[in-house]
Amino acid sequence: MRNTRRTRALVALAGAAMLALTACSSGSSDDPGGTGGSTSGSSDTPTSGSKDGEKVTLTVWHYYNTDGQVAGLEQLASAFETKHPEVDVQFQYVPVEQMTTKAVTAAGAKKGPDVLVFGASGTYPLAESGAIASMDDWWAQYADADQFPQGVLQKIDGKLYGVQGYVNLLGLWYNQDLLDELGASVPTTIPELEDVMAKAAAAGKQGITLTGKPGLESQWQGFPWFTSQGFSYGDPQAEPMAKTFTMLQDWVAEKYLSKEAATWDQTVPFQQFAAGSSVFAVNGNWQIAAAKEATFQYGVAPLPLSADGGVLLGGEVQNVGAFSEHPDLAKEFLEDSFFSVDGELTLLDSFGSIPARADAAASSKISSDPILSVFGQIVQDQGRPSPSPQVPSKNVDKVETLVGDYWSKAVSGQGKPDDLANQLIAQLDPLLKG
Amino acid sequence: MTRHRREPLAFSFRTLLYVVYGLPLVWIVLTSLKSQGEVLTSQASVVFHPTLDAYRAAIADPALGGALRQSAVVALGTTALCLTFATPAAYALARVRGVIVVPALTLLVVLQMVPQTANLIPLFWLLSRWGLIDTTFGLVLADAAMFLPWAVLLLRPFFGQVPVAIEEAARIDGAATLRTFWSVVLPLARNGFLTVSAVIFLVSWGEFLYGITFMLSPEKYPLSSLIAVQAGAYGVDWPAMMAFAVVSAVPVLVVYVASFRLLSSGLTMGAVK
Amino acid sequence: MTSSTPEAAVPTRAAGPTSPVRAGRGRRSRRAPDRRLALALPAGALLAALAVWPLVQLGRMSLHAVSAATLNGTWERIGLDNYTAMLHDPEFGRVVANTLTFVVVVTVLGMVGGFAVAVAVSSSTKGGTFLLATMVFVWALPPVVNGSIWKFLLADQGLVNQAVRALGGEGVGFLYDPRYALWSVALVNAWAVVPFNALVLRAALLGVDPQVIEAAEIDGARPYQRVWYVLVPTARSAATVLTILTIVYAFRSFDFIYVMTSGGPGTSSTTLPYLAYAQAFLTLDYGRGAATALLSLVVVVVLAVVYARDVRRNEETA
Repeated sequence: MRNTRRTRALVALAGAAMLALTACSSGSSDDPGGTGGSTSGSSDTPTSGSKDGEKVTLTVWHYYNTDGQVAGLEQLASAFETKHPEVDVQFQYVPVEQMTTKAVTAAGAKKGPDVLVFGASGTYPLAESGAIASMDDWWAQYADADQFPQGVLQKIDGKLYGVQGYVNLLGLWYNQDLLDELGASVPTTIPELEDVMAKAAAAGKQGITLTGKPGLESQWQGFPWFTSQGFSYGDPQAEPMAKTFTMLQDWVAEKYLSKEAATWDQTVPFQQFAAGSSVFAVNGNWQIAAAKEATFQYGVAPLPLSADGGVLLGGEVQNVGAFSEHPDLAKEFLEDSFFSVDGELTLLDSFGSIPARADAAASSKISSDPILSVFGQIVQDQGRPSPSPQVPSKNVDKVETLVGDYWSKAVSGQGKPDDLANQLIAQLDPLLKG
Repeated sequence: MTRHRREPLAFSFRTLLYVVYGLPLVWIVLTSLKSQGEVLTSQASVVFHPTLDAYRAAIADPALGGALRQSAVVALGTTALCLTFATPAAYALARVRGVIVVPALTLLVVLQMVPQTANLIPLFWLLSRWGLIDTTFGLVLADAAMFLPWAVLLLRPFFGQVPVAIEEAARIDGAATLRTFWSVVLPLARNGFLTVSAVIFLVSWGEFLYGITFMLSPEKYPLSSLIAVQAGAYGVDWPAMMAFAVVSAVPVLVVYVASFRLLSSGLTMGAVK
Repeated sequence: MTSSTPEAAVPTRAAGPTSPVRAGRGRRSRRAPDRRLALALPAGALLAALAVWPLVQLGRMSLHAVSAATLNGTWERIGLDNYTAMLHDPEFGRVVANTLTFVVVVTVLGMVGGFAVAVAVSSSTKGGTFLLATMVFVWALPPVVNGSIWKFLLADQGLVNQAVRALGGEGVGFLYDPRYALWSVALVNAWAVVPFNALVLRAALLGVDPQVIEAAEIDGARPYQRVWYVLVPTARSAATVLTILTIVYAFRSFDFIYVMTSGGPGTSSTTLPYLAYAQAFLTLDYGRGAATALLSLVVVVVLAVVYARDVRRNEETA
């Protein structure tokens, strides 16, 4: 009986302690409908309210996660906070696949961040759901608007809903030391590429690494290759796709490309390249920091595409949140950070993103850097807007995911190239017709 | 329990378990001590240059303290709330006869089936209508409701194991329903109660999806978000992820060791009829 | 409890079969609803608001064409179109087959493994407790961590393949060979589930009266007989609920698939829950995702009714 009483006491004590702790913490930081001040029970509750009316908080939602990116964001924040001492810029990480859903759902509850940094394929749902508002008026009055090329303006039905402050794109990273060992030079056509990879395979090295996992990323990786073979979203044909899939399967069969690529996103292939196990890597400018881990000489060249081939200009889009409590401050923040020369150069330094602004892109920081200058050139020569304008806005996600899935099937050998291509086009047609 | 259990089968089985569960743990710790570059070059080896960089960075992360506190509050709150509701319900469903039992159990199993992701949007609406978005209490409520069917279904058999005779004896002695439940039945189902509490605590400590969806301020994110951010759109920082996983596991380990002793001491209690 | 037949060893009714208690209960329940039902009211209320209502919303979503773009606007009512689209999807059969394989592997291995471990550590020796503690600790780690580690271990150049090569075999594409990807993820998921099952089963097994075990030993029962005739029946009710919970868990588990293979290569490791997730969050088609999720639910309803009826039958006749 003594044990029972002690047990009872313990359980009661633990329970009470837990409840007290919950009550304490929830009471101090957030009082639903109470006097706490920071969040109230009304439906247009600001997500980042003023603390005692003095400090203004600007919340920025994003999905950046590398150290370099985070450092860049912090620099942008402190620059703005110096200019506006009463403002506290807070960055909130939202995983990329939750970003659109969270923003859209919050918009339904009339809540949202002050600034949203999102992927281009999310522009349509964010606009339609009311999470972001049209930038037309703002942009018409913005003095530096003409510095931004058309390709980085994200429009839905002709209305501007977001601007990319920078672009990310793909290039062919190469291991100079390995090339020297193999006695090869940087390829400028696909047959040349395959020659070098053959030599690499003979020497027991991987020829190339790229993304092959199902989904959006593979569409992005595959775009240069299938457009190079003549595919276009405006006139989707199976033959160029079949040729691309054949190329992929040949590469896997000849051991230029590991079948494991079917599980790779964009980070693992580059890590493999940086570890020296592959001659080439199809990867982006943001890897510039990760590349420094390499213990060999490396460089970047444009992907060896045909004249039809292009490289999508990805990267994130920025806009003010439609439910921001401080829209003017938010606009000013964007104008001072992502849309300014200094801000874009800060981001360039922190993760190699190529500025969208013409004047910033002309900076000597780019022209004097062996890697960045190549990417800058690729933007000029091969750059194409993303998402492709020929894809109806409302089907962008579905189209990109579908194409990515088939790219992955090709890499893993889940079907003959012709069959896969036909199946893909059959499903793609209705989506592209809108 | 008798001591002569030195059967070779049990021994080799245990060894296998140590390998199969110990190896990943060891690998987590090893990875946390590598540098990012070495993670891939030394994929299958234990030879590398150990470094504490990942841990230094993790501990220096300004968000760590707040996230740790938040996870503790959420885990404790969820455990308390969930068990407060689940325990009486499990007892009721263990004892009550009648038509209600089959539909109730069916409903619980069906609710258990609904994936978290399916509840995100409706729960967001609901919580925001109640003004609970971006509040710790809102998150605790959502988590507790999510674990409730599970807790009830798990606790039920333990209440079933409690001999009816003891309950009846208490009732004959004049104890009311609630009192019988609290002072007679609950202590005898202690084993199950503590097991389920520990389990709910562990799972709500690591809960991630509701945390990052219902919280709109970065300082309210739980610790699990710091692990998740290491594997994002732009890169996977393996050593950092593993270091954060280890750091996140330490407080849990402490609670856990303590509760295991409680559990062990409760063994003989449960066996006495 | 001195009887040694398995039925009598079930501890749910320790009183004899003809005790006046049962007769008394029967009389009471015919008069008025059991007062103890009120104890379940708070839980019922919480669930009604935060679990049942969202489920109803899910159902609503599945009957409309809702996407991220239209979520906050008007929903277009399309009846069962989401469901029929699913059935017409050429991959559907494969996804269902994958799901069934996945569920069977995780459930069977999870339950058998869990029970085996529970028996192996059921003695309260320090060694046994430590082993179980380690296993539960691993279980509690986030899937992104566990999944990533196994992704490393099963990679082309990972430890497992190195071991295979050292033993003279060829590397296996555990995660990128369409033949093995699903099995690999299912095995890892089963591995992840075993500690939890072991923990719960052990707690149930500890309710066994040691005298019964000793009596069995004295009667000459061998270890496996002790397990089969004494321990298994004891853990029966806990095992039943665990089995159903494991099946349900396997039916909705997608975290490991997400981390390790993203449903790939192609769709060779896509299961219904992963598909539901991909439809809702990757293509932002909430209506389709809801329909896929509800379809899995329908299957589970059948299982749930079977379980509930089984419980009622067993516990009422004991």
